[in-house]
Amino acid sequence: MTGRPSSSNDTGGIERRDALKLVGGSTLAVALAGCTALIGDESDDSTEDADVPDEPIEAGLQTFTEGAPAVLGLQAQYGAETAVRRINDDGGVAGREIDLDVVNEGDEHIQNYRQFVDEGKDVTFGPISSGGHEAMVPEIEDRGVVNVATDGTVTTLYEESFPDATYSFRFQNHDVMEALAAVNQAVEVLGADSIDTYAGINPNYAFGQDEMALFSSGIEKLTGAEEVYSGFPELGADDMSAHVTEVNGTEPDVVFSSCWGGDATLLLEQAHANGMFDSTDLLVGPVLYGSANDLSADLVDGPIYSGSRNFYWDEPGTDRWTPAADLVSEVQSEYDVVPTAHFMSGYGAVTAWATAAEKAVDVLGRWPEQDEIAAILEGHGFFTPAGYHTIGADHQGYSNAHFGELAWSDEYDAAILENVSVFAPKDVSPPPGTVSGDWIDAW
Amino acid sequence: MFESLPYHALNGVYYGFILFMIAAGLTIVFGVLGVLNLAHGELYAFGAFVAFSIVGYLTGLVAEPTGPVTALIFGAVVLVGSLAAAAVLLPVGATLEAAFVRPIYDRDDVYQLLLTYALLLILTDVMKFVWGAKPLDVGVYDGLNAIPTTELFGIDYPTYNVVVVAVGLVVFGWLVWFFDRTKTGRIVRATAIDREMATAIGVSTDRIFTLVFAMGAFFAGFGGAMVSIGPGSAYLEMGLSPLVLSFVVIVIGGLGSLRGALVGALLVGVTTQVVTPYYSELELAVPFVLMVVVLLVRPEGLYGTWGEIE
Amino acid sequence: MSRARLSAENLPTSVRVVLVVLGLGVLLAVPDLARVTPLSFATIHKGLLFGLAAVGLNLLLRHTELVSFGHVAFFGTGAYGAAVLATYYEVSSGLVLLAGAVLAATAVALVVGYLVAGHLDIYFALLTLAFNQVLFAFVVQSSFFNSTDGLSVRVGVDRPSLLGLDQLLVSAGLDPVQAYNYVLYYLTVAILVVVVLVTWKLVNSPFGRALDAIGQDRTRARFIGIPVERYVWIAFTISGIYGGIAGGLFALLQLHVRPEPVLFAFVSGEILFMAILGGVGTLVGPIVGGVILVYLLDLARFYVTYYHALTGIVLLAVVYFLPEGILGSLPALGAAIERRRRDPGLVRNDVETVVTSVRRSVRRAVTTVRILVFGVN
Repeated sequence: MTGRPSSSNDTGGIERRDALKLVGGSTLAVALAGCTALIGDESDDSTEDADVPDEPIEAGLQTFTEGAPAVLGLQAQYGAETAVRRINDDGGVAGREIDLDVVNEGDEHIQNYRQFVDEGKDVTFGPISSGGHEAMVPEIEDRGVVNVATDGTVTTLYEESFPDATYSFRFQNHDVMEALAAVNQAVEVLGADSIDTYAGINPNYAFGQDEMALFSSGIEKLTGAEEVYSGFPELGADDMSAHVTEVNGTEPDVVFSSCWGGDATLLLEQAHANGMFDSTDLLVGPVLYGSANDLSADLVDGPIYSGSRNFYWDEPGTDRWTPAADLVSEVQSEYDVVPTAHFMSGYGAVTAWATAAEKAVDVLGRWPEQDEIAAILEGHGFFTPAGYHTIGADHQGYSNAHFGELAWSDEYDAAILENVSVFAPKDVSPPPGTVSGDWIDAW
Repeated sequence: MFESLPYHALNGVYYGFILFMIAAGLTIVFGVLGVLNLAHGELYAFGAFVAFSIVGYLTGLVAEPTGPVTALIFGAVVLVGSLAAAAVLLPVGATLEAAFVRPIYDRDDVYQLLLTYALLLILTDVMKFVWGAKPLDVGVYDGLNAIPTTELFGIDYPTYNVVVVAVGLVVFGWLVWFFDRTKTGRIVRATAIDREMATAIGVSTDRIFTLVFAMGAFFAGFGGAMVSIGPGSAYLEMGLSPLVLSFVVIVIGGLGSLRGALVGALLVGVTTQVVTPYYSELELAVPFVLMVVVLLVRPEGLYGTWGEIE
Repeated sequence: MSRARLSAENLPTSVRVVLVVLGLGVLLAVPDLARVTPLSFATIHKGLLFGLAAVGLNLLLRHTELVSFGHVAFFGTGAYGAAVLATYYEVSSGLVLLAGAVLAATAVALVVGYLVAGHLDIYFALLTLAFNQVLFAFVVQSSFFNSTDGLSVRVGVDRPSLLGLDQLLVSAGLDPVQAYNYVLYYLTVAILVVVVLVTWKLVNSPFGRALDAIGQDRTRARFIGIPVERYVWIAFTISGIYGGIAGGLFALLQLHVRPEPVLFAFVSGEILFMAILGGVGTLVGPIVGGVILVYLLDLARFYVTYYHALTGIVLLAVVYFLPEGILGSLPALGAAIERRRRDPGLVRNDVETVVTSVRRSVRRAVTTVRILVFGVN
């Protein structure tokens, strides 16, 4: 295995024909894929006669609704709300509408989940935080109410810490996928031969350390490059000039940064002001684009490539793919932002559960129990405007990973990505049952 | 490994002056009123948000800098905007003092802590109501850096940092002048040293306390404004760690001492920035270790004068 | 602080007995109350634990007049003590975990207490805060403690065992999670009762009187032969041990420990405010304050958008209208209500008083701003 994926636009994208064929199971799946306009109302609903209670589905979402991390958190909220809106407009999940409660996750992930369960929620979504997600998993397993995490993407979580989870799932791609996408992007832009040194500036907690470790082993395998500096500023730092100065002093060929939200903006501001782009050839960051609506034309200027996890709104292009175009215009009119990958985290988590629940009703002819929905979610596949997603037997979501060059769009008054590369899950994540670290070591 | 050391030290000086501006307000309020204002960090955040609005509006009126001259004009507009933002904090601070703090001066210290904590919580939501829950960046940092300063000497260093250091020095100079040379300043100091005596010779302590609290709010807000126009953004919980760091600074310097606050801030700023790149695991601990050492060795701080402004 | 300090103790014995029985009854009934009402059982439990830590803090605050701003250090040490035993040494006995928690907290409290015992006032407060933050920074940066992500208090995915009592309930047909939480809750109640009794004994012992003397005047206390620093050190350590017990129980309740909720200096502030909120001058006031403040901080956001402000307003109301804290003001409040029951006309006076004081506040504020803006009154 070489691990070098092809990055053409069509291997990862979806063919419209396939979509229609695959999606056309129920109107709900179609509505959530954003394809209603393409198909019309011709597909029949087999869940109509099922024995399903009338009362709405009570759902809870915990995400960062305020403060610095709200840059990502509110996108997840918008995404979840948009999916719920579409579900309810379509008549609900097997006829049941969804009531979504949103609460700030703060540091209280376990309490939030407990409170949701005590309130009688049928399903919960979130959180954004990696540490929070990890803390929650055993509690979710104890309480037995399905939680589909929007993010909290640390790779080791389902690979090593909780390989046998029953009720806990994660929709968003995990870290290894974007870290390796970053490696591949760097090699593609500079060429393996011209990468001799690299550096990292990553937030100082499990997520940042996980990303940096994966990027390091990936780039060392592919290019034999050597690490010249690795700094870990605090999450929500006030100042990163110390790290930028060190990068300037060591002049690495590539800088990797998994900084996100306010940290991403701060890093770009200080990198420009301190002339970091004179000292390095390339900055790759898996989640810089998460701050798309908070950047400016000056900031995205330079050799900066960003990932966009499992969704970039203009890939496939909105001029060719109406579900994406519809989604962007809906999000812009509703929330006045362009959707980022975290929008899809919320949208996809809700969609994963709703389509699985409907599939369960279809199979059982009645409303499913928690363990039945959980069983169906394993290996479940579904569409969103971002394309096709599967939830693996390991409870981890797998979708295409996106990476592209940061640029500015006056039309959207937001950052965009150009020359977007799409990496299929099999190219940037290990085969089932293999631990990412071992997989990369075996390249 | 150490070739970047001078840069780190410079960054530390800049960071130290930011800390000084925040800590100065806290130390004045504590020195005179004897109240440890936990809401000080929120006043700092408030200043950052107000600066977002005012500076954003003002810079909308002038063109983006294209050359050195327009850059200077742009810089002047940003500074005026920041001052205006801080000025908004004067009535805010005065109101808070007159309406909330004044009734409980004779209560136990712990009730004053509880009160300022309640104000902290309320102010957070006032900001959330006015400016929303997300971080806001006024985006003038780039324009400020277009002003040529260090480039003139062949060094590549952000102009913004130079501006912060200069502004911090001016703030320090003004405060020293105010407390040393002006009549009002001397009355404030007299009140700090002996409230009853000041009242006996006809000073209205109510007025003085309001003035001092408003001044504290002003400098907190000014610090916030200076951060807001820099590389960072204004966000709701931004006041937390500067508040805790301000405690450290004023304790190291000596409670109530302005010179102490400056030295303490520079000490914390430079040490943190110099240690971070080499031993990044110490970044968070450095200020507190400094504080523990100073308190255990010299409990009154480096320039300690209990309850006096000096 | 000594003004109306012992207000609750001034009640007639019969009333106190009734109150104690009532309080115990409510405590024991919490699980059932939570089942029939929307009250959150887990949050009340957490509130009691923080309240327990606040009782410890209040030992210092009420008697030696020392304000600790770093008390969560011991709570956090306790919680991490249990977590480390479970994660690295696969200890599954809840009691051993708790013992580990107490041991860890005692050790840290002994060291910190030794270093801070000679300090007073704001220096004491800020020194405790500094030690708290050093500990926080150390844990956050340490991979042994798994940085900000924290440690699990389980062996694998299994909950610790609670003397087999939870298993007993399970075999009686109860859901294992519920059984665990019930047993843990009643363990908490039992410990709480013991701690309160011990504290009551302690403050009424010669040692407690000596602490009072130290609080009033250290020099005089020294003159009459009290070894001031040593006594403060002992009191500090005891109060740290309370924090450690509470932290250990919290680890068992939460089953995952992260640094920010159990070690960040601001939580120390919250523990202090719990004591004030409930009533510094009372023995069990801090517990009441703990439950109320934790409830507000944790759950207000489920119901209102501006939940910080809601908490702030509640605290403001306590500062202005319940000057002795919730429990401390109960006797005065009870008397006032009794008087108003006899003479309803007084209520109108109350409204007038409130209106006048608000109006006066507003007028003060307006005048101040006018002076500020126009330079003249």
